[in-house]
Amino acid sequence: MTGLQTTNAPSHKIVIPHFVTGSLAFLISMILLFFTADEWMNLYFSPKLIAIVHVLVLGWGTMIAFGALYQLIPVVYETSLYSEKLAKVTFLVYSFSVVFLSYAFWMASFSQLLFYASLAMFLALMLFIANLSLTYRKRTKSNISSRFITTALFWLALTVIVGTLTALNFKYQFFNHSHLQYLKIHAHIGLIGWFVMLIIGASSILIPMFVISHQTNTKKLNLSYVLINMGLIGLSVNWFLDSNQIIELVMILSIVLGILNYLRYVYLVFKSRIRKVLDTAMKLTFISLLIMLFTLIIIGILTGFHWFKIPTMSIVLMYGSSIIIGFISTIILGQIYKTLPFIVWLKVYQPYVGKFKTPLPRELYSEEWMKIQMYVYLIGLAIFVNGIIFQQLIIIKIGISLLIITATINLINVIKITFHQQKLTSIN
Amino acid sequence: MHSNPSQIELEIIETILINVYDPEIEIDIVNLGLVYDVKFNGYNQVTVTMTLSTPSCPLGDSIVQDVKESIKRSYPDFEVAVNLVFEPQWHQGMITPEGKEMLGMI
Repeated sequence: MTGLQTTNAPSHKIVIPHFVTGSLAFLISMILLFFTADEWMNLYFSPKLIAIVHVLVLGWGTMIAFGALYQLIPVVYETSLYSEKLAKVTFLVYSFSVVFLSYAFWMASFSQLLFYASLAMFLALMLFIANLSLTYRKRTKSNISSRFITTALFWLALTVIVGTLTALNFKYQFFNHSHLQYLKIHAHIGLIGWFVMLIIGASSILIPMFVISHQTNTKKLNLSYVLINMGLIGLSVNWFLDSNQIIELVMILSIVLGILNYLRYVYLVFKSRIRKVLDTAMKLTFISLLIMLFTLIIIGILTGFHWFKIPTMSIVLMYGSSIIIGFISTIILGQIYKTLPFIVWLKVYQPYVGKFKTPLPRELYSEEWMKIQMYVYLIGLAIFVNGIIFQQLIIIKIGISLLIITATINLINVIKITFHQQKLTSIN
Repeated sequence: MHSNPSQIELEIIETILINVYDPEIEIDIVNLGLVYDVKFNGYNQVTVTMTLSTPSCPLGDSIVQDVKESIKRSYPDFEVAVNLVFEPQWHQGMITPEGKEMLGMI
């Protein structure tokens, strides 16, 4: 039975709450985005936008990532999670911290509440990282995918350290540079070091598995790993010291080339896939990677504008939106349906397999609603991005309205899967 | 002892295992080419040698259980063993023409 991972899989009680809470946070963030649009479209460092961004990246993105990682760990490290109890405690502390931190930003309480909220978040993330690090120590397998995931954890730790120090600086003011310089480091190591590296690591296992491809040449992934990390370290150090534009350009190029190498790897997997017909979840996954390609173009434009000192307000907003709402959210909206139904299906039907006729995992949710969700989402995203480019509030609000509909359908589908009632029929 | 063991082996493949589905790919394991061999010892022991589309398949346990339970339903007195192997590695050449059609390959 070598290779079977279900024996190491954690309890569904640890994984499922992350998916429900994350989906709820996605809906809340879209509603908040709608009602504050007139404020943030003119000032992207508005406290309310910072609060919404944290609900999105921590409450939605990282929350789902934690749930998915707990499930994926047996495949990645070929061992069970170090402590399920710690995972439960982490979920509670983390959920509280997301609300607390977002509230502190929302209220613009930078020198009071933010101090305590950021310490709570620091504790929550360190609990998660400790659990995964102790799991890593008893691993029996190491490959490029697990290296990506482990390094993503390192970047997550660094993100929270820089974030916490920046928050503490509001109270004690010990930084020599402007805090905006540290926020730039915090945002990029979070988005690229944590999210992009994690998505590359996880997707390099999951995409070949779901489309059935035996593309085993991982040279492009290895190169991608070196280029992204080198670029990110260089970029952070350069920003930490006094920013040099040429070094900045070289480091950005290194990251872009690294991501392009990963996309080339996925393209080879896609081309050599056995399963030609893609379901909605996999379509969303591949669309998210196209959005990633689009984001790289925006990075190019942004770097050019920055170089020639042209105002970049709307481009920065578009860059942030395309990476957080575009790339990260799209891949999550797809992959939720490649993981959650199977976790629930195994919980509800595993003991009855072969003895009764059971529904298929896909039948635990409405594929039709998922298709509607995908179209509404993609149209909403396109309208939203256009609204940002042309700085038109009404277009932005139409786009976000469609994203609210998407988040609502997603939440309903996730709840429907989570509370699925057993349906067994006799085989004969 | 059963008079015709190969008849039973054939029956297991053509009428039982053809109804065992990979819940994710939604195609039966025979047309997917996952079943490498079925051996019946002539008395009451059946050994199914099979593979999975990927060693990290999270539904592997369920598929193996489905194979065992399905055979036991038709042959309650049989002892069923599943020998899960990853050598030779499964590849698309092992999929039957029907399976390829179901996967949209042809």
